[in-house]
Amino acid sequence: MIFKILLTIWMSVILFAAFLCVEPAAGFPGEVSRILFFHVPTAWVATLAFLLSMIASCVYLITRKVNADFLAQSSAELGFLFCFLATVTGSIFAKATWGSFWNWDPRETSIVMLLMIYGAYFVLRSAVPDHEKRRVFAGVYSILAFCTVPFLVFIVPRITSSLHPEDTLNPAGPGMDMKTLILFLSSLFAYTGLFVWMLRLKVRMLRIMDKEQGMKFKV
Amino acid sequence: MHPTKSGRWITQTVSSTYLTEAVAIWLRDLRSEFRTRYAVNSILMFALTTLVAVSFSIGSFRIEESERPFLYAVLLWIILVFSALSGLSRSFVKEQEAGTMDILKLSARPQAVFLGKLFFNLTMLGVLELIIVPAFILLMEYKIKFPGCFAAMMVTGGLGLGAGTTLVAAMIAQANARGALFSALSFPLLLPLIITAIKGSERAAYGISAAGWPEVKIAAAYAVIMITVSLLLFPLIWEE
Repeated sequence: MIFKILLTIWMSVILFAAFLCVEPAAGFPGEVSRILFFHVPTAWVATLAFLLSMIASCVYLITRKVNADFLAQSSAELGFLFCFLATVTGSIFAKATWGSFWNWDPRETSIVMLLMIYGAYFVLRSAVPDHEKRRVFAGVYSILAFCTVPFLVFIVPRITSSLHPEDTLNPAGPGMDMKTLILFLSSLFAYTGLFVWMLRLKVRMLRIMDKEQGMKFKV
Repeated sequence: MHPTKSGRWITQTVSSTYLTEAVAIWLRDLRSEFRTRYAVNSILMFALTTLVAVSFSIGSFRIEESERPFLYAVLLWIILVFSALSGLSRSFVKEQEAGTMDILKLSARPQAVFLGKLFFNLTMLGVLELIIVPAFILLMEYKIKFPGCFAAMMVTGGLGLGAGTTLVAAMIAQANARGALFSALSFPLLLPLIITAIKGSERAAYGISAAGWPEVKIAAAYAVIMITVSLLLFPLIWEE
């Protein structure tokens, strides 16, 4: 409960600070660079969630503990949600700076592929009726899919050139002053907290649903 | 492996390696495929139909000279990938339909089954490419500057296709709605390979020097990674 209240206050402070306390970065038209505080954290949380989902899948395949699979499933679903948010916010930024919502920039390509991979993951989950088998298959597919991610993130963007602002808006780059950096990092922290809170809710929900189903079978 | 006391059995078990088991499964699949010709016919008919449709509607002169290398590479790989997706799942689905899955589980080790099925799928892809690629080159008047590099791209691309789909075929054989599911699950896994293969074929056909080799290496790396990971994961889904 206290976690929820703290998170609300933290997120609102960041929302106000992002618009009121920092100057927009130079080299970008108007106020668009403020997207840094919302787009990058969603992308970061999506990556974190997919990584966590893959690790939980490995743990499930080794130990066969059902809780690990609940974690893998919830994490994948939340990762999908945040990945979608990153796509939408990125697309709005693309419209404002490059002039079109979508132009198959390597970053856009790889994020769409991520969405497709996890879309397929949910399709697989829904297509296997047996519980045990579904968990194993989903785990195997999630590991297999994760092995293609390095190709998407590191190799495909290298083959073609990208317009994605990395040097100008990178926290390690020269273009970010102290105030922006602090706000950016606290925004990352807030979004990670939001993710953890949602993840706990989702896992609890799955656990209750599973228990209820078990009770139905017993009756 | 077999709990018998007689020495003859033990030596026999030792002499049957993963590779001999895999080759036995591969040959058995080829023989049964040669009898029905179901998978090869469906793959080839799908490929020929798409090729005819492309050739009929685009022909060899509708696309401007400067755009040909790229667009032809795209068309060729669309034909190859979707033909492969239309038939490659047969390798495991047919075991499920014939009810021979359990006997196969008893008679060979999981990795050997995977390798056997992989060899079979690669054979299918080899037949597909041997027929479709020359036909495509002839019908579309596809001029290729570096045939060696182009051939290497086709070989590594085919390897990657087989490597990325065999494990998925084994999964969907045990799920509902097999046909649609196979494409839906395989396609996202194959996308990095397809992008690389298109780029590589384009450069092999039109590059300044033999510039397609990096793409050949990427496709080969993809195949090696997918085969290794599949070999590790296959026992999990096979022994369920």
